[in-house]
Amino acid sequence: MNIIEDKFSVWQKRFSLSGFENKSSELAFVQVPADQTVAFITTVRDLDGYKHLVFFTAVDLLEDGVFRLTYMLHNYTTKHDLGIQTDISRDSASMESIHHLWPHGATYQRELKEMFGIDFPGSPGVNESFVLEGWFAMPPMRRDFDTKEYSEATFFPRPGRKTFDTQEYMKEQLYPSEAETW
Amino acid sequence: MSLKDIIAPFSVWKRAFEKPYTTKKPLDERPGAARYRGFHINDMNKCIGCGTCEEICQNAAIDLVPVSKTVHGDSGLRPKIDYGRCCWCALCVDICPTSSLGMSNEYIWIDSDPEVFRFIPGHDDKPWNNSELGYRRAEGYDLLEGQRVAMPMLSFEESKKSFVEMVQGYSAEQARLEADRCIACGICVATCPAHMQVPEYIKAIRDDDMGEGLKIVYNANPLPASCGRVCSHACEYVCAVKHKGEALSIRWLKRYIIDQIYLGDYQKVLDEGEPGNGKKIAVIGSGPGGLSAAYYLSLLGYAVTIYDANDKAGGMLRYGIPEYRLPYNQIDKDVDYITSLGVEIIQNTKIGRDIPFSKIYDEFDSVFFSTGLTDPYGLDISGEDLKGVIPGLEMLDEVTKGLVPDIGSSVVVVGGGNVAMDAARTSKRYGAEVTILYRRRKEDMPADEEEIEEAQGEDCILTTQAIPLRLEKGDKTRLKLYWGKAEMVSEGPGKRPKPVLIEGSEELIECDTVITAIGQAADYSFLSEEITAKLSFKRGYVEVNEFYQTADRKIFAGGDIANPKRDAISAIANGHSAAKGIDIYLTNFRKLN
Repeated sequence: MNIIEDKFSVWQKRFSLSGFENKSSELAFVQVPADQTVAFITTVRDLDGYKHLVFFTAVDLLEDGVFRLTYMLHNYTTKHDLGIQTDISRDSASMESIHHLWPHGATYQRELKEMFGIDFPGSPGVNESFVLEGWFAMPPMRRDFDTKEYSEATFFPRPGRKTFDTQEYMKEQLYPSEAETW
Repeated sequence: MSLKDIIAPFSVWKRAFEKPYTTKKPLDERPGAARYRGFHINDMNKCIGCGTCEEICQNAAIDLVPVSKTVHGDSGLRPKIDYGRCCWCALCVDICPTSSLGMSNEYIWIDSDPEVFRFIPGHDDKPWNNSELGYRRAEGYDLLEGQRVAMPMLSFEESKKSFVEMVQGYSAEQARLEADRCIACGICVATCPAHMQVPEYIKAIRDDDMGEGLKIVYNANPLPASCGRVCSHACEYVCAVKHKGEALSIRWLKRYIIDQIYLGDYQKVLDEGEPGNGKKIAVIGSGPGGLSAAYYLSLLGYAVTIYDANDKAGGMLRYGIPEYRLPYNQIDKDVDYITSLGVEIIQNTKIGRDIPFSKIYDEFDSVFFSTGLTDPYGLDISGEDLKGVIPGLEMLDEVTKGLVPDIGSSVVVVGGGNVAMDAARTSKRYGAEVTILYRRRKEDMPADEEEIEEAQGEDCILTTQAIPLRLEKGDKTRLKLYWGKAEMVSEGPGKRPKPVLIEGSEELIECDTVITAIGQAADYSFLSEEITAKLSFKRGYVEVNEFYQTADRKIFAGGDIANPKRDAISAIANGHSAAKGIDIYLTNFRKLN
């Protein structure tokens, strides 16, 4: 049993961990319930040396009705990365903030609010625009966001634009009057 | 203030003569990375104007606009990109079926007129048009599937032993996977002689809605069980996905739809048509042209009677195509639905022999004939009248009628069309060793590619550039066929090279049977002299207008007898057009005069 598996058995005594994947000697993932996630992160940061927040991101699992959050932490001593994953409901998505653990966590949370609509109450500046100034539509990284529909509604076609349908145009050019096509 | 604070500003002088980290302005040259997603390029000769780039563009930045001549397989349209909307995501490049679209690594374009930033890459003169660098779709990564879903087929070893259908048909899962390859560009629609709504019926397969599929198919083709098996599938030769490797199996997807629905359920799905209008139409010949005309005329409310010389309906579909390619019960399925609408088929009745043409001309409101090409061309060599020399169609006809053809153990088939392949493969099934002689090259053969491959797969020997010279009575076998090698002589650009006999290259094949399959001519003997005098003919074809109406306005004609394309789907299209023409003739007669 390697060190990370030892740690996992220790963590499992204190948290309701639902899964563990040892991807390599340098990377492991652990699945944690949402209401224990920040407590778990605090533990591994303060007691197990995972002091650096590498990134914090989300994936929209539309079919399952959840966002999967991934906090990627790094331990400089063991040079080991730990991905902490938790699922939260897509409906009125909200998650406890980690800005008190890492100030730059607030920036990730601001981005996730803008791109996925996930709220982090209490996170500084979480409601400010991140890159999408003046955005009014559904958060664009949600998979039910229709990019093309948004483009058509938002960016008005320039006057004079005209397109030709391939099938119709070929009919006009090659067989405009064949009776069987009436 | 410490001493360090006083000295610090002077310490920078030690770097005064080092190379600066900043870049000198103005920037003269700062090329984009080798795979930078810069301004678009498009190879005008490769692009086919399929519009897939326009379809995938999430910013609606692409329009398709006329640029070049429209030909089969190329709409002549080309993408025009609005750089006010483009985000350089390169999805258009990644999806492009022909790989004509790419991106240069140029990224500087300054102009005070915003309108110039809508341009046609590759067509408009831009300095980056020939850029070697920039983004291209990476090797090994593809948004489109270039390989078709393999069709379950009998092996050649199995197939040549019997008349069991060789192509076994897709399962639901296979059909959906194959349908998923379609990019719905619609380029095939122009090339299909009947202009079937191919993307729409393929969509019906994706949606698993066979009823909708059947309706779409019947809008343009009332013989889909047959066509789904033996159509010449011109559509597949221009399929945009073919540029990725293999074309969509359009023909077999159509077959899949038809195979899923019982004939008894057709009436629940398909349109019954107009109520009877009291007018009567005679159709001569029950091949694809005649059946198609009858179907659409019936939908328009006409009482249709088909006269057919054979025992069963279907024409060349039944008597010219072997059962391993088109099982007879599939022709029955197509025919039975047409007769279920009230179309009467009178079999074993040859017009001109059993009933004079003038009689039906007088009794019916209009006549459509689609009697096909029935008189085989001879080889025009000595010995052609010897026993053992038979036309391919005659042999196929015998087999359909359940007779065992007298071919012996060795057969030479002369010709390179589908009839030749069918005769060769049928002979193989009766145990003969088969050699196919064709006067031109393999790539010139008019037969479908897969027919040629399958004939060779079934061990028929193909000898090309071979010209038959004379036939003699054989010693051990029935016949001796002398043939000579041909060299291909150019006839000028755009023309097929001509085979010319190489003097002194004579070879001999001993065989029991020579099957001739080098084409057929029309037989107009069923028409009365008076009618023949009224109609006009050109190179053996009866001349018709766009409604397939002959010089006698009451008579319409279609199929091989009026159409040089000479395939089932063209005959079906002709029948459809003629039905519309007859409707115009009968309801707007005065207006037309």
